[in-house]
Amino acid sequence: MVLAGLALAASACGGSEEEPAKAAAKSPSKAECPAAWKADWQKLANRIEAPVYCPSWMPDPLDGDIDGMWNNINSVDPDGSYLLGWTWYEVQSGELHVNFRGQPGNAKIPTCQEVETEAGVTRRRKVPCFADPSGTKKLGDREVKVYTRNRGADVWHVLYSWEEEGTLYAVSQHVAEPLTYAQVVESLDRITSGLVRVEPTQA
Amino acid sequence: MKLTRRQLVVGGAGTALGAALGGAGIYELLDRLADEGGGLPRRRAGGAEQHVVTLDKVVDNGVEVLVPPLHNEVVTATVRVEETRVALREAREALEAALRRLEGEYAPEPRGLHVTVAWGLPYFSRYVPSLADQHLPVDLRASEARGRSTRALIDAIRFPSDPDDLVLEENEVAVFFRSDNSEHVRAGSKALFASLEGLFEPTSIRRGFIGGGFGGEQSLPKKMALAAGIPGAELIPDTAELFLGFTSSQKNTMGPGRIANHETIPGLTDQHPDGYFRGGTAMHLSHIFEDLEAWFLNFDFSERVTTMIRPETRVAQGTQTIAQTEEDAADVEAVKRDARRHGAFGHSASIQPASRLQEAIVGTDETPYPKGTAIPQRADFDTLDNPFFWSSRPDVDRLSNEPAAGVHFVVFNPTSDDFHRNRLAMDGVLPDGTKLPIDPRGRGAGFNAVLNATHRQNYLVPPLRHRSFPLSELL
Repeated sequence: MVLAGLALAASACGGSEEEPAKAAAKSPSKAECPAAWKADWQKLANRIEAPVYCPSWMPDPLDGDIDGMWNNINSVDPDGSYLLGWTWYEVQSGELHVNFRGQPGNAKIPTCQEVETEAGVTRRRKVPCFADPSGTKKLGDREVKVYTRNRGADVWHVLYSWEEEGTLYAVSQHVAEPLTYAQVVESLDRITSGLVRVEPTQA
Repeated sequence: MKLTRRQLVVGGAGTALGAALGGAGIYELLDRLADEGGGLPRRRAGGAEQHVVTLDKVVDNGVEVLVPPLHNEVVTATVRVEETRVALREAREALEAALRRLEGEYAPEPRGLHVTVAWGLPYFSRYVPSLADQHLPVDLRASEARGRSTRALIDAIRFPSDPDDLVLEENEVAVFFRSDNSEHVRAGSKALFASLEGLFEPTSIRRGFIGGGFGGEQSLPKKMALAAGIPGAELIPDTAELFLGFTSSQKNTMGPGRIANHETIPGLTDQHPDGYFRGGTAMHLSHIFEDLEAWFLNFDFSERVTTMIRPETRVAQGTQTIAQTEEDAADVEAVKRDARRHGAFGHSASIQPASRLQEAIVGTDETPYPKGTAIPQRADFDTLDNPFFWSSRPDVDRLSNEPAAGVHFVVFNPTSDDFHRNRLAMDGVLPDGTKLPIDPRGRGAGFNAVLNATHRQNYLVPPLRHRSFPLSELL
């Protein structure tokens, strides 16, 4: 097992080490979007013409490089809504999967379509993508809502969402081996605490 | 309260029986939590039954709820007695004396210690085969359905949603200990299985807990799951009676009084008015793993409600005790309709056509039981056993020291077939023979998708007067 015990202990964020990341978690104001990733996040902010949040820490071996080897979801809709995902998977070891969402000018929880087929009959229904709110938590200056039953790309994830200037942002992580629910929460706390706002530089 | 790594060990693998009977393993935490009850010496009140226990009631969310004993243990065993009349008489007297001593020490109620002795088919086949042929209750309904005489105690079967590696057990005896005080439970099992040396050879010890949160405190399932680091433990509601977050012991969902006796429902068995096993019942014992993460992360609250109860059930977010009155009970047509409309049936609703009276009756005990009355008397409890606390066959039972969330499912039904009808309905096989076109392990089939049964066996619980080595006195 490559990862057991490592996921929360180390950082592979473009060469940044554990200590700076820890510092970022404790002092969000000092967190920085690592130089190796910043250009892509800046490009995203410019493309959607809205601020985005770049992670200063990601669970090992993931990084926050949008063009990097672990990124497997990079989707931007015409309205500027984005979904970015990073996944590490190894047979018999487990999986790490972190998603970031933002939907400029829209603070509503997105809608997912659930499709179930029983006995040849397919049923479709529209449901909120984030459900089972289980309280809020304050991480640095940011208060996030915690959702434990999520759909779409966030199935089986714990998800934190927050609203800023009419925009809904979310970060979520899959609860799967080698991490427990508690470790995922710890990881999300650290990711969220270390988020760095990247403003668009062109209108 | 967190446990150390040593304390996290459930119990059993490699542990000597004596140490397992006396030791607590992970359940040491239970001993450190506030136990209740003093165990004032008192004789068993009135009834002829072993399985009927008088429980306190509370009202939760406007629903009457029976409060089951907090601590539970089942010890299964084979009998180590020669197959002779003399040896069986001595064994019977020794067991009965030990049971009476226990009753002298602990009142047979939740504050004291409630003991139920159940016997498996292998006991009857080995020790009293002819008498069993003559006296074991006959399930008249099952006999008619099968076209041949069928006893009220039959072998357990594998149900459609059961995994292929399910173990169908062949224990000769099982003793079920229940108390609000874990020390009483421990004392009871030691008295029968350690002190009565040579009478029984234990095959497994199964431990667990239920409730503890009706007063608003964190319940035992939540505390124990957190302490053991069970995946998804954080998501269990704080006061949940059971790991899955809903209250199962509502008065309306538990068979009242003597309804689960062999003889109470007119015409169900041949035990009324003077059967040898009148006052007895059938017991099913199984172990089922529960995937808490899948339940809480893959079903939102409203899905958990509709999955647990019925597809059209709506309650306020966070409700744990959901009214299921006699009038609410689903019949076969309602379950079929739900399946057609929703591609799903709720766990409770699917069972109700089999587990609730479809017509009002007057029992042979002269009690009127309204239509929709529940028949089974559930006594299941959560566990961290994997799958047992201790086993004499660790390889066969796939025993592990890693704690795992599960339930030791104990239920009393008038006959084994009656339980089978309930359990088949849970998999979409209704009492009228209809097989609903829903994958029995799929999301449409109640909460089967998060369950994984490992062991099953049926037992017969004789009435009090014959609880010790039943039928042997007739040899």
